[in-house]
Amino acid sequence: MRRVRGWRDALTVVGFLSPALVLVGAFILWPAVWAVVQSFTNRALTGPGAQNPSFVGLANYQRLLSDTGFFGSIGRTAVFTFTSAVIGQTVLGLGIAYLMAERPLWKLRLAPVFAAVLILPLAVPETVAALAWASMANGTEAGLINRMIAPAGVGPVSWLQDHAMATVIVVNTWRGLSFAMVLFLAAFESVPSSVLEASVVDGATPWQQLRRVTLPMLRRQILIFLLLTVVTTVGIFGLVYFLTRGGPGSATELIGIYIYAQAFQFFEIGYGSAAAVVLLILLIAGGVYYVRLMREEL
Amino acid sequence: MTTRFRWIAYAILFAVAAFSLMPFAWVILASLDSNATIFVKAPETWTLQNFVAVFRSAGGMQLITNSLIYAGGATGVLVVATTLGGYALSRYSFPGRRGLMLGILLVRVIPPTATIVPLYVLATGLGFLDTYHGMILILAALEVPFGVWIMKGFFDTVPIEIEEAAWVDGAGKLQAAFRIVLPLAGPGVGAAALIGFMGAWNQFLIPLVLISDQSKIPISVGLFRAWVAYTNVNWGLLAALSVIYIIPALVFYVVARRVLQQSLAGGLAGT
Repeated sequence: MRRVRGWRDALTVVGFLSPALVLVGAFILWPAVWAVVQSFTNRALTGPGAQNPSFVGLANYQRLLSDTGFFGSIGRTAVFTFTSAVIGQTVLGLGIAYLMAERPLWKLRLAPVFAAVLILPLAVPETVAALAWASMANGTEAGLINRMIAPAGVGPVSWLQDHAMATVIVVNTWRGLSFAMVLFLAAFESVPSSVLEASVVDGATPWQQLRRVTLPMLRRQILIFLLLTVVTTVGIFGLVYFLTRGGPGSATELIGIYIYAQAFQFFEIGYGSAAAVVLLILLIAGGVYYVRLMREEL
Repeated sequence: MTTRFRWIAYAILFAVAAFSLMPFAWVILASLDSNATIFVKAPETWTLQNFVAVFRSAGGMQLITNSLIYAGGATGVLVVATTLGGYALSRYSFPGRRGLMLGILLVRVIPPTATIVPLYVLATGLGFLDTYHGMILILAALEVPFGVWIMKGFFDTVPIEIEEAAWVDGAGKLQAAFRIVLPLAGPGVGAAALIGFMGAWNQFLIPLVLISDQSKIPISVGLFRAWVAYTNVNWGLLAALSVIYIIPALVFYVVARRVLQQSLAGGLAGT
C-alpha cells in the first residue's frame, strides 16, 4: 500500500472509487436517507398526496405507535427470526457441521458428499424454493407432507392456511441451514488438531472438548454469522411473500411484507416509509455491532 | 462406542439430506410430466415437451431473455465498479480509508426491503420504471458493498513488488495495474461476477415493484404471477421454467463454490 502523493494519485483514487460509491450512494444510501425524509410527509402513490405531499411532522410515527398491524408485524418478525435464524439455522447448523467436521478420533468419510447435497436449498433462487414448498405443503390429501403423515393417521393438514407461520419458519430454516453448515464446517476444521489432541490427552470427554475448547475458540465467528443471518432474516421478503402473501389474514405478515403492503397496496408512501425507518434503525443497530466485531481484523 | 456414534451421525445426516432434497422432487418430476399437477407424482408419460414449450412460447423466451439481460448487465457493471474500487482500497492509503471500508461493511446490512419505498419514488423520478438500464444499475448497486470487499481482499494477495517491478521497467502506474495486477486478481473478478450474477438473477422484490410492463419482467416475477393465477396454470410449463431458472444458478455455484466459500469464510474471519 502506498500513500496518496500528488494530484495524479488523488485523481486515480477518486476516479477508481467513484463508480462504486456513486452506485451505493444513489441506490442504497440516498433511498435510506430519503425514507427518513418521506416518513415525515403524507406522500401517497395516488390522489392528492401524490401531487402535493405535505409535511406532517411525527404524525406517521404516532400512527405507527397505535397501529396493531405494525406491532403485530414486528412481533411476528421477532418470532420468525428467533426460531428460523437463531435456532433453526445457527444452532442446527452448528450441530450438523460438528457431526461432519473432521477432528482427532472422528471422521465421516461421506461428509463431503453430504456437504455437496445439503447446499442445494441455498443455490436455487428463492422463488423456486417457495414454489417447491408450495407443492410440498399443499393442504389437500395429495400434498407430499400430508401423504407422508397420512400413515400415522394424521391430516390432511392445511399447512399454509392453519399453520402458515410454522410452515414459513421451517422453509426459512431449510433454506439457510446449508449456509450455516458450510461456514461452520470450515470454522470447525480451522481449529488446530494439536489443540484438540492436547485436550484428549488431558482427559477431556468429547462434550467437554466441544464446550470448553472448540466453541470458545469459534465464539467470534459464530457471533458474526448470527448477526448476519439475523439481519438477513429480519429483512426477508420474497420467500415468505411468494408462499403466503402475508396471509392468511396477517398471520405471516412480517415487517418487510407490512412495508410493501402499506406502500404498494394501500399506496401510502409516507406511512410505509415511517415503518421502513423503524426497520432501518433495527438493522443498522445490528450492523454497527457487526462492524465493531469485524473492525479488529481490519 | 465411536462406531455406534458414527451410525447415529450418518442417520442424522441422511435425514437432513432428505429434508434438503425433498422439495425438489416436484420441480423435477413435474417438468418431465406431460400431464403435471401441483402434486408430486411419477409422470405417466415422460416427456421433454414442457421444456420445448417454454423455449417455443414467446412468453417463456421473453422471461429468460429479460433475466439474462438484467443479470448480465448487472454483472458487467458490478465487475467494473468493484475492480476499480477494490484496487484503490487495496493499493492506496488515504485519509478516511478505514472509515470508508467500515461504512461499506455497514451498508451491507441494509436490504432492499427497507429501501424499496423511496427506491420506487427515486426510480420514478429518474425514469427508471420499466427500463432495462435502470434495473441493471439498481441490481448492481445492491451487490457493490460485498463485491468491493471481496475484490479488495483479492488485490491484497497480489504483492505490490510485482507492480513496482513493472514501473521500474517503464510501465505507467495504470498500465501496470491493468496489465499485471488484474490478471493475477482474476479469481477475485470471477467471485465478484458470480455474486453480481446470482444476486441479480435471483432478485424478486425490486423487479416486482419497478417492472409492471409484462414484456420486461424477469423469471422470478413471471413465476410469481403464474403461481398467483393458480387455477389456470400449466404446471408442467411452470416446473420446466423453474428448472431452466435453477440451472445457471447451480452451474455458477458449482464452478465457483471454492472461491465463494473462501470469500465467505474470509468474510466471517474478517480477512
